[in-house]
Amino acid sequence: MKGYHDIVGDGGSRVLEQVAEQRTRITDGLAGVRHLVAVGSGKGGVGKSTLTLHLAGALRARGLRVAILDADFNGPSQARMAGVQGALFVPGSHKVALPRTTNGIGVFSMGSMIPESESLEFESASHGESHTWRATREFALLGEILRAFEWGALDLLMFDLPPGAERTVQYADFLGPRTSFLLVTIPSEVARGVVARSVAALSKGPNRVLGYVENMSGYYCRDCNAVKPLFISPGSSNLEIPCLGTVPFDPELARHCDTGMPLAELPATPVGRALEKVAQQLLDSLEIDKEPRQ
Amino acid sequence: MKFLCIPCDSPMKLQTVGPPERGSLSVVYACPECGYEMAMLTNAYETQVVQSLGVRIGPEAAAGTSTATSVGVSGGKCPFSAMIPGTEDVKAGEPTPVRWTSGAEARLANIPEFVRPMARTGIEKFARERGALEVDETILDAARDFFGM
Repeated sequence: MKGYHDIVGDGGSRVLEQVAEQRTRITDGLAGVRHLVAVGSGKGGVGKSTLTLHLAGALRARGLRVAILDADFNGPSQARMAGVQGALFVPGSHKVALPRTTNGIGVFSMGSMIPESESLEFESASHGESHTWRATREFALLGEILRAFEWGALDLLMFDLPPGAERTVQYADFLGPRTSFLLVTIPSEVARGVVARSVAALSKGPNRVLGYVENMSGYYCRDCNAVKPLFISPGSSNLEIPCLGTVPFDPELARHCDTGMPLAELPATPVGRALEKVAQQLLDSLEIDKEPRQ
Repeated sequence: MKFLCIPCDSPMKLQTVGPPERGSLSVVYACPECGYEMAMLTNAYETQVVQSLGVRIGPEAAAGTSTATSVGVSGGKCPFSAMIPGTEDVKAGEPTPVRWTSGAEARLANIPEFVRPMARTGIEKFARERGALEVDETILDAARDFFGM
């Protein structure tokens, strides 16, 4: 009697072939993107999304073509912060044009499609058992988005990942070895501990971990024009990956993020200068040419 | 999953897929040698697992077409189309009907179903704001220049 591997194909359902075709279309769609960078942490609330947006802004200011895919489908924040909550999805010849911010950063965020008063829902044949299929479905959705939108010729596509060390690794598996990871922590042992777990998990796979950024490393007091401590934290991190920089917290920047308005004077602030340094470190680690793509 | 006709030692071929009923798919396979047919009846969990992959099951899936026997596992609809709320409400609030040329409709049809309702609503609003009551490819290109990368 024949065994499973003696039979070519699956008799017509083509499930495996369709999944393989989906992956091929994703690869083709991202062929013009020079670098895929996933910004993750494992820990929630450390400022991944804020850092992603403002790093993208710093890179865009250097003339690079940058886009963000907000991969946090259940808690999307890029639409609000980047000011694309009312984005219009325009059909191109075969794909959807990627909405962009006023400074030319392409942004896809579920927050442009689903109001904040609503949660992301999927049709389901099985009720009350979402823990068995939800992650698979969310990754299928990520694949659909990667195939559906025109990413075009980009220097960087940045993925703003959801929290969860295990999720970070799932994204590494899904996005493949082309994707490099930038991890975000804050000066707290709790956060560093979670990020260390992400580092340990990612180190078992082929993806490159570019380093980490310590966010909220103090807060910028506009009255004193000085950066003051925010966390009382012993010593430095032992994450054993390069530190690409430290970025202080700026309440004014946070306020602008809430309204989706860019902070015009950001480059002149300590936060802006810190982001500039991180952007340069990121470019150095990716070995991106000094000359941006024309 | 593969099915083998034991008497013929021959792989069975997918024949039809019945539309989901209470979370169950009816998938009929037949042996090409002896013609024996069998049906695989999935439970809701099995249906959901396949549905979550975003694939379609049916004899015509290879050709990328949709027929009565080649249905999406969620009933022929895009598995993500239900996740965007409020599109019907938005449509109900439209003040003036906007026509779509066949070329513009073709471009809309080319994009994934889960984005389509929002794209249609937004483009029609964009057209109305410019005094146009017809969406053609010129309008689409203008909207793309205005909003897109």
